[in-house]
Amino acid sequence: MRRAVLALTLALTVGALVSPGGATADTSDAFSATKSMERVFEEGGDRVVVDERTVTVKVDHTKNLRGRERVQVSWSGAHPSGGRATNPFGEKGLDQEYPVVVLQCRGRDDSSLPAGRRLARETCWTSTPRQRSVQASERTALWRQDAFASATDREPKSGLSPFPSEQCDDVERLSSRVTPFRAASGTVHVSCSATTMAPEAAADAAFPPAEVAAFTDVDGNGEVSFEVRTATENESLGCSSTTPCSLVVIPIMGISCADGASNECLKTGQFAPGSSNYSGEGVDAAVSPVYWWAESNWRNRISVPLTFATEPDVCDVKDSRAPTAFYGSELLSQASTQWAPAYCLKRDRFKFQHNRMADGAAFALMERGEAAAAFVSGEQEAANDTRVGYAPTAVTGFAVSYVIDRPDNAGELEQLRLTPRLLAKLITQSYTGSTIGQQHPGMAKNPMSINQDPEFRALNPGLDSIAREAGAALLSLSEASDVVESITTYIASDPEAAAFVKGQADPWGMVVNPSYRAIKLPVDEWPLLDKFVPSSAQECRRQISTPYMTQLAAPISSLRKIAEAVLDGWPNVQTKCTRSSVSDPWKMGRVDRQGIGSRFMLGVVGLGDAARLDLRTASLQTKVTRGSGTAFTNASGRSFVAPTESAVRAAVRTARAPRAALGALTLGPETTRRDAAAYPGAMVVYTAARLEGMPKADARKVAQFIRVATTEGQAVGAANGQLPRGFVPIVRTGATAALWKQARAVADAVEAQAPSSSTDAGDDDDTKPVKGAPGDGAPSPSGAAPGAEAPAAAPGTTPSNVPATTTTLEAAPTAATTSSTGRLLMASLLGLLLLAGLGAPAVRIAALVRGGRR
Amino acid sequence: MTSSLTVLAVVAAWLLLQLLLLSGLAQDRGQTLLHDQLRADLAAATVPIGGIVAPGTPVAQLVIPAIDLEQVVVEGTSAGQLADAPGHRRDTVMPGQQGTAVVYGRAVTHGGPFADVTSLRTGDVIEATTGQGVARYTVTGVRRAGDPLPQPLAAGKGRLTLVTAEGDGRLAALSAGSAVYVDADLSTEAQPVPAGRLNAVTDAELPMGTDTSAMAALALALGGLLAVAVGLTWLTRRVGAPLAWVLGIAPLLASAWVAGDMAVHLLPNLL
Repeated sequence: MRRAVLALTLALTVGALVSPGGATADTSDAFSATKSMERVFEEGGDRVVVDERTVTVKVDHTKNLRGRERVQVSWSGAHPSGGRATNPFGEKGLDQEYPVVVLQCRGRDDSSLPAGRRLARETCWTSTPRQRSVQASERTALWRQDAFASATDREPKSGLSPFPSEQCDDVERLSSRVTPFRAASGTVHVSCSATTMAPEAAADAAFPPAEVAAFTDVDGNGEVSFEVRTATENESLGCSSTTPCSLVVIPIMGISCADGASNECLKTGQFAPGSSNYSGEGVDAAVSPVYWWAESNWRNRISVPLTFATEPDVCDVKDSRAPTAFYGSELLSQASTQWAPAYCLKRDRFKFQHNRMADGAAFALMERGEAAAAFVSGEQEAANDTRVGYAPTAVTGFAVSYVIDRPDNAGELEQLRLTPRLLAKLITQSYTGSTIGQQHPGMAKNPMSINQDPEFRALNPGLDSIAREAGAALLSLSEASDVVESITTYIASDPEAAAFVKGQADPWGMVVNPSYRAIKLPVDEWPLLDKFVPSSAQECRRQISTPYMTQLAAPISSLRKIAEAVLDGWPNVQTKCTRSSVSDPWKMGRVDRQGIGSRFMLGVVGLGDAARLDLRTASLQTKVTRGSGTAFTNASGRSFVAPTESAVRAAVRTARAPRAALGALTLGPETTRRDAAAYPGAMVVYTAARLEGMPKADARKVAQFIRVATTEGQAVGAANGQLPRGFVPIVRTGATAALWKQARAVADAVEAQAPSSSTDAGDDDDTKPVKGAPGDGAPSPSGAAPGAEAPAAAPGTTPSNVPATTTTLEAAPTAATTSSTGRLLMASLLGLLLLAGLGAPAVRIAALVRGGRR
Repeated sequence: MTSSLTVLAVVAAWLLLQLLLLSGLAQDRGQTLLHDQLRADLAAATVPIGGIVAPGTPVAQLVIPAIDLEQVVVEGTSAGQLADAPGHRRDTVMPGQQGTAVVYGRAVTHGGPFADVTSLRTGDVIEATTGQGVARYTVTGVRRAGDPLPQPLAAGKGRLTLVTAEGDGRLAALSAGSAVYVDADLSTEAQPVPAGRLNAVTDAELPMGTDTSAMAALALALGGLLAVAVGLTWLTRRVGAPLAWVLGIAPLLASAWVAGDMAVHLLPNLL
């Protein structure tokens, strides 16, 4: 009783020191709060403050979050951490001292709310039972010695009442504590063993743990990218636009010990600040994150309210109208998911839908009239004479994103520099990957992975040189895309990289993979040309003979998937041999996720995805002022530019005006070369739509889309209809003025729909274009030589409104198909026969004549 | 010098002989066999009318009275399939069905079954007997490079396009180097199209396509020819020329024929 009263007085005194209203938001989206906290030891009724800190926590954005989005959490003033774990996530992060625990919890930290909507330890997500439940002897049961703990928490068994002894294999004489997890549905998961966890916490769950025990440096500062999960990723946690959630940041100060506490409780850590704990040795539990739920730690929490964006399916749920689909570039995808609700939720607008598709295919679909408009990021080859307008809709680009851990537990690499030649080496599969790849003919002297390449090491010092298969590949797109075209243009427009691809060795002696030597660049779809099959003693490789380099490159179909692979540190290298049992055949599959601390992976992503998932992006080389073509040992003489907003803006400034009116601007590595500060990966996504022959209803929708997208759609923000990060707004003034003006002009022209020469565009209902000749279900002939022999399928005919027989269309001419072999073969055989047939007797007669003279 | 020129002359003569004459004989024989097979298939109602058909299977009998043409058409248009018969392009509908059917035929070699189709006139009749009955087409015109494509087909109608090659100039009959098309509209009722046709074909099956996959077989055949020639030389020294030639002439001709047949795969498929 005496002790309880003491604890209460103590709590009140300390509570006065805390400034609860310290939360101030400098901008609407960011969060910042300061809180002072203490660790105290009770000694015979006195309260001794052993440690006192004032911690400021900042979060860069907290509003309208989406699944897997990462927010940047930073803090200052925390206790320096010791015993740094290589992997701070989930259970692996528990063996550290004085870290800062960051958790995602359902509910708001507001005592005025009803209990069901308030956040509590029970609504905070963790992925393992060790983070929630402890069994210990009385001496080491530190939560029972906590000066701030309530009387019930000091009981030998606590957390749930009655205590679930059977489910938890509880030992009677030990002290036990569970922190059950209360799912959004109300189900309570006891969480003291693998079987009593919430389903999303299964071993090898679809997503790696997000909760983190992050490291504070010796100055008390630290930062971490925290990945938030929505109900889509974690249904039990259940965060959504209607269920508010919070980020809980708990700087671990150590347990405040009550009178009579054991020595275990009084410990202050065995690792020096800033040291590492490679081998996962035991740490002082009193200062470890394992007791984040103990009152001493929990009371120090700083809660950051989060809001979530409307779910991606809101348009399907709330709007029963038929969608108008726009097809094309995935670069726009982050913007279009944010834009879509701004259309479908307004009755005076249409239901906008963006379906990702290769730029060229989308453009062809639009030209044929099967799609209202296409999103493309450059001038596309027209299949017919229909006039098409390109309305600039978003300024973004591609980036090479990476996740690379520096050796010796020094954290992630923060700046990566890449030259076009390094990209060329990666994309042409010129690194051998491993000793298996070194058998590849013509590449024996090449480095095994990029981190062994002297060029890479000169630009990015301080990394290890361990060969990795993932370091031999740049995870890229398997499909045709303007992004691939932009990357290959970047390579082709750089003299050093172009010479390398042509077969010239780099200054350190590395040569291009012979399968790709002198490949013609740029291409819009990267071909997998390497057919090299290694010989290996491995049983699995002997049974499955498959090209090795292709397994390393293993491109995938969407930029979003690449971004998630980089986020997870999970390369798509397909060289892992598995079989379910010794009697089953071997299979080759994707390698495991890389361990945090030794990650090394590169991938091509869109700037929108990179910003959403907070991925690190490489700086690309823009200019070489000296030493071109020679060996170098550092980055001097070469300028590199990261994909920042100003660098993308500078790139847009270099764009050349379109060749045709309302055409696409010329922007790319070939134009950005003029400005060393311009990001070469910048790209403009256009809404391409027909200017003639489009049904009026569709034309109005497309014009409306362009106008809305280039006005309210360019306001930067996370809300519906706004422009997400990773895009540069197109505005009336500045670098994007020309784009803005053209978008307006195209919107007008699309809406006006110039009357077409041969068709009557008045009939809105008959929107179906003429398909292939043979009628539905039948194939149209001649995919490769359109128009040559299959007249009815010829795209040369005007696409819409062709009634069965009444109008005569101006048909395209038959293409010429000729063969010089066919033309010359017989004649040359005949000539040869005559020549040789007459020549032989002639030579003989000549010989006879000469012989006769002699 | 003399002997190498003689060998050259012999090789050129043989190739000409085989391309222009012997391959025609082989085609004639091939037609006889295909005709028998098609008749049996028609009687048994097992002629394929859609889906994926194995290349080389007879699919139709083509009759053009105006130029006295009677040919069995096989599936597939690569050089090998066109050796024995006109070929039906695999990504088009079968003759008689709704849509455009395309049939390739050689103009010069292998009997030149389509040598005369360019002389067809508007109104001439083409008959195709398939597993779905007899379809009658009326020629609408001959189309060369630069001529306008015919109007798009109305739904439910059918069209047949014959494709072959022709030459120009003095040696027109021997220098068939450009593709030429003959279009004909279906005048009988169009048959429905079963699903599951290919939607693309390889380059070897496009007009003037060559089939490089025969390269390996050609190398083997040439090897065989070489072996026979060496053997013949050895035999000449051993038993004297007359006996050697009596023994060796048949294998020599046979292997030369096989090698020639393989070489044809590498030539344009419409030649």
